[in-house]
Amino acid sequence: MSSSVHRRSVLRLVTGTAVICLAGPGLPGMSFAQALAEQDPAAQLVQRAADQGIEVARTNTGAAREAGMRRVLEAYFDLDYIARQTLGNYWNQATPEQRQRYLKVSASSEAHAYAERFGQYTGQTITVSRVTPRGNGVFIVDSKLTQSGGGAPVAIQWEVRNEGQGPRIVDLKTEGVSMILTRRADYVSFIRNNGGQVEALIKELEARAKRA
Amino acid sequence: MIASVSKMATRVRCSVVATAMAAALLGGCAVNDTGASEPWDPIETPNRFIFAVNRAVDTIAIRPVAVLYRDWVPEPAQKSVRNLLDNLGEPVTAINEVFQGDPSRAGVTLARFVVNSTIGLAGLFDVAAMMGMPRTKTDAGQTIGMWAGKGVEPENGGFYLVLPLAGPSNARDATGLMVDYAIDPFQILPVAFNWDFWYYSLPRFGLNVIDYRSRTMFALDDLEKNSVDYYAALRSAYTQNRAELIRAKRDKTDTKSELERRDNLALVK
Repeated sequence: MSSSVHRRSVLRLVTGTAVICLAGPGLPGMSFAQALAEQDPAAQLVQRAADQGIEVARTNTGAAREAGMRRVLEAYFDLDYIARQTLGNYWNQATPEQRQRYLKVSASSEAHAYAERFGQYTGQTITVSRVTPRGNGVFIVDSKLTQSGGGAPVAIQWEVRNEGQGPRIVDLKTEGVSMILTRRADYVSFIRNNGGQVEALIKELEARAKRA
Repeated sequence: MIASVSKMATRVRCSVVATAMAAALLGGCAVNDTGASEPWDPIETPNRFIFAVNRAVDTIAIRPVAVLYRDWVPEPAQKSVRNLLDNLGEPVTAINEVFQGDPSRAGVTLARFVVNSTIGLAGLFDVAAMMGMPRTKTDAGQTIGMWAGKGVEPENGGFYLVLPLAGPSNARDATGLMVDYAIDPFQILPVAFNWDFWYYSLPRFGLNVIDYRSRTMFALDDLEKNSVDYYAALRSAYTQNRAELIRAKRDKTDTKSELERRDNLALVK
């Protein structure tokens, strides 16, 4: 008697959870949020950048893909801001001439990295879900990358910031790992291990750009 | 027999207490760290040495096997292997969920374990997920990080540590690894009942390594190719990833603190 009651309650728990899980994405609150997100300029920016990036990776290969990816990055990303941030405090040490060279080479190395990254995915889509405005004028845009070949969807957070030239993407975060922070840790450590000279990093990046 | 098991249990309990205390001491080191700075790495030189050895072993032995496994073993077989390994890890997750103050979640994890071990044929199939009990995974490193106190940012896990074979870790997560090992029934049972090392412990360990390596292939290759100092890039990425997991545990309802941290991040003005 008691065991059958117990079993029924467990069953109800299980089916209840199943119903919530199935109905979850279709709840009205969610679609409302999504509708709001679609009107948001930050969300639109991210969506357009992602769609164009995926399109470039899909339709081009090799050098054409990299060039196309660079155009997308230049159009939607604040590459100057990203470059400044990834150099950390060493930005202040760099001469104007070094800054120019660094901006140039870091843009092409980013383009190379993205071209390679997106080229390996197949049939992926990025859907923007939620926008969180921050007090300091920064927007955090949540999105999901889904692959047609199956596999778990990847959550990507985009940071959109306006540094005087309209809203631009400055960072993206996958599984908690920020592109800017990782890049900066990488570059700063390299500079530190090369006598604290920014020149060493720029030379290395330029050499890599030539090789690729 | 029973006496020896209980004696071992006492020993395990003692070591758990000892390691937890060690963790508390280590975790309490740098209070008021904003976490925005780079990970604390006082033993960078030995770490880099172990890192280099790991990379060599990986290039020669582990990565090639993982590539073969990823490309040649049929997808459903890979999935079943993963399910099997995940199922063996379920008790550890359940215990940690209890200590994280989420007994109901622990109950679901335990239910998953029971369902998958029976209907799911010893864990080969994740039947529980189809029944609406999705999988969660947690470890003692996260438990320690969760209770480390308000002043300790999740980015601060004590000193950074590269473990032989296991790779990036830190004082907090390495302690967690030992705790998980000590409380894992599927590590205790083989010792208690003398399960054959060659038929249980070694295959489990080997499959875990290959499965984990094949899953991290894409991310690690990307990081290696696009960094000038792979060691530093991985150190940063590992720290951020672990912090994200712990932060999600700490403030389930409020993700504001993370965003605030990023606002306050000492970026170049």
